[in-house]
Amino acid sequence: MFLLVGHSNDSCCQDVRARLAAQDLDARIVDSPLAPPARLTWRLDARGLTSSLYPHLPDSAIDGVLVRDTGWLDPAAWEEDDFAYMQAELRAVMLAWLNGLKCPVINRPDASQWYRSGVPLVAWRRQLRSAGLKLPEVVITSEPEEAAAFRRRLEADGNDGAVYAPLTNASSYLLADDDAWTGLASVQAHIAVCLTQAHGPTALACVVRDDVIWNGVPPSYAPAIEPALRRFAAAAALTFVEIAIAPVRGEPTVVLVEPRPRLERYREPARTRIVAALVAALTRVTAADAPLVPS
Amino acid sequence: MILVCGGLADGVTELVCARLEDCGYPYRLLDFARFPAGYRFHVRWTDGGPAGWIATDEWHLDLDDISGVYARLLGTDDRAPLPGLDPADASALRTEADLGLMALLEDIACPVVNRIGGGLSNNSKPYQSIVIRRAGLGVPPTLVTSDPDAVRAFQAEHGDVIYKSASGVRSIVRRVGEEQLARLDRLRDGPAQFQAFVPGRNVRVHTVGASVFATAIESDAVDYRYAHLDGLTTRLTPVELPASVNEACLRLAQACDLLFAGIDLKETPSGEFVCFEVNPCPGFLYYERHTGQPISTALAELLRGPTTDFSPHAFTTDKEHVPWPSA
Repeated sequence: MFLLVGHSNDSCCQDVRARLAAQDLDARIVDSPLAPPARLTWRLDARGLTSSLYPHLPDSAIDGVLVRDTGWLDPAAWEEDDFAYMQAELRAVMLAWLNGLKCPVINRPDASQWYRSGVPLVAWRRQLRSAGLKLPEVVITSEPEEAAAFRRRLEADGNDGAVYAPLTNASSYLLADDDAWTGLASVQAHIAVCLTQAHGPTALACVVRDDVIWNGVPPSYAPAIEPALRRFAAAAALTFVEIAIAPVRGEPTVVLVEPRPRLERYREPARTRIVAALVAALTRVTAADAPLVPS
Repeated sequence: MILVCGGLADGVTELVCARLEDCGYPYRLLDFARFPAGYRFHVRWTDGGPAGWIATDEWHLDLDDISGVYARLLGTDDRAPLPGLDPADASALRTEADLGLMALLEDIACPVVNRIGGGLSNNSKPYQSIVIRRAGLGVPPTLVTSDPDAVRAFQAEHGDVIYKSASGVRSIVRRVGEEQLARLDRLRDGPAQFQAFVPGRNVRVHTVGASVFATAIESDAVDYRYAHLDGLTTRLTPVELPASVNEACLRLAQACDLLFAGIDLKETPSGEFVCFEVNPCPGFLYYERHTGQPISTALAELLRGPTTDFSPHAFTTDKEHVPWPSA
């Protein structure tokens, strides 16, 4: 049995379940994996680690897990303080449970990934840089003069402009005119703002284990950049990751990293290939899938 | 120059600053109680790591001149409201400012005590138990369950059983008694963590780079941190641990990517050591004041300047094969 942790309307869960079903493999989409009918027992002692999520299904019968979410808890069922506590507890338990499973878990999270989902691109810089990938210039500054200098550098390079990219959410704002820069300065009176370079059209690639799957016709630089994409995914311990690449200063540059890719963003045949690669990864145990601790 | 990010109202940060002054090591304080108000900040990333500066009206610090960073976050209640803003806007802006600072601390090449990423394992105690086991230390028999029958069986097997939160939410460790057993049906709302009570002597280990400071704690309380609440006393004494335990503690800190860690051990009557948890932001003041162990001095030496590569994860790419750097 395969467990797909995510919302029932998540297209990735749906497509993976359908493909597994086509291979006569049973898969279950669960948005609250620790809620009844689950009855978890997770034991760690000198003899090793054993766990069982469902009363009549030992964890050894779980063949693979696709992790699309950290697990949902209904806030309406809890007082506010109790909800925050229970949510923290459930996330803590899920992380441990996933890391003890012997089957393939995609992506098997470490604590840093689990508790920092949705981190901005700047948080991936070190690993992207180490993999040999180019990155856009980023400035975090409270100084209007430094922001203006950034603007001048971009204009001198013939760049498309600057983007204000708050670190607290995924939104970004093109600083298209003087009014926008004036508004930015008013924010800078309180805090440093994150600015980056605008870029042209992006090429979207999904890395699924060793496969690099492009959305549409691969760009001309694909053969040159694919080894670096694989290096990054391996270094970040991400079996499944989306990377958006765009030309900046004439070079292919990473402008987005998404460890939970949304299939809706992909056209055929890329979407089918991604799902096929995911199913292959879920049904194939290799050394890379080893749990954190052997029993 | 050392950068200290914390609040002086916090005793641990105050001790770090006092020790740096004693040692004559220059530092700048980024006061989290006020930040970002009063601070100017400019960081630029091009093809390499970050470059830039942090400044106030009194000082200007180039990132290249920072030899080490000590960071200890403050709770929301300990931070002053941002002037001239409504509370919701102020909270959002402060979070944005904090993330900018964290982005810098994650990528700056000097030693950072501690980078955020490594410490996150403390948010899941059972996950951290797996990491502890992997580092070569034993853990107490642990059960995480939503099954009341499993708790009863666990208690029948181990006798004395305690319970505590599985997450990073701080909880007082308590024994499972009749009152708790009567409420086990509530587990169906969500699992809880239980551990066999391990008899013996509590030992707190602080690792600072490659240095290890071990402190034995004698107390009759189940959780010695709260002994005073039950009218009980606690006595702290410096101790030497077996080399194998010291090495395992260093491996554990390394696995968690922590240059400075507080590790809670217990030495059983048979001389075995089991580990309960790793604290990524240890409040070592209590231990140093009671024992005179030079923990803050070791920390000051670490922050004074790298004698080896302390860049982020430089020693954790392959946690099993990369040697621990010498101090």
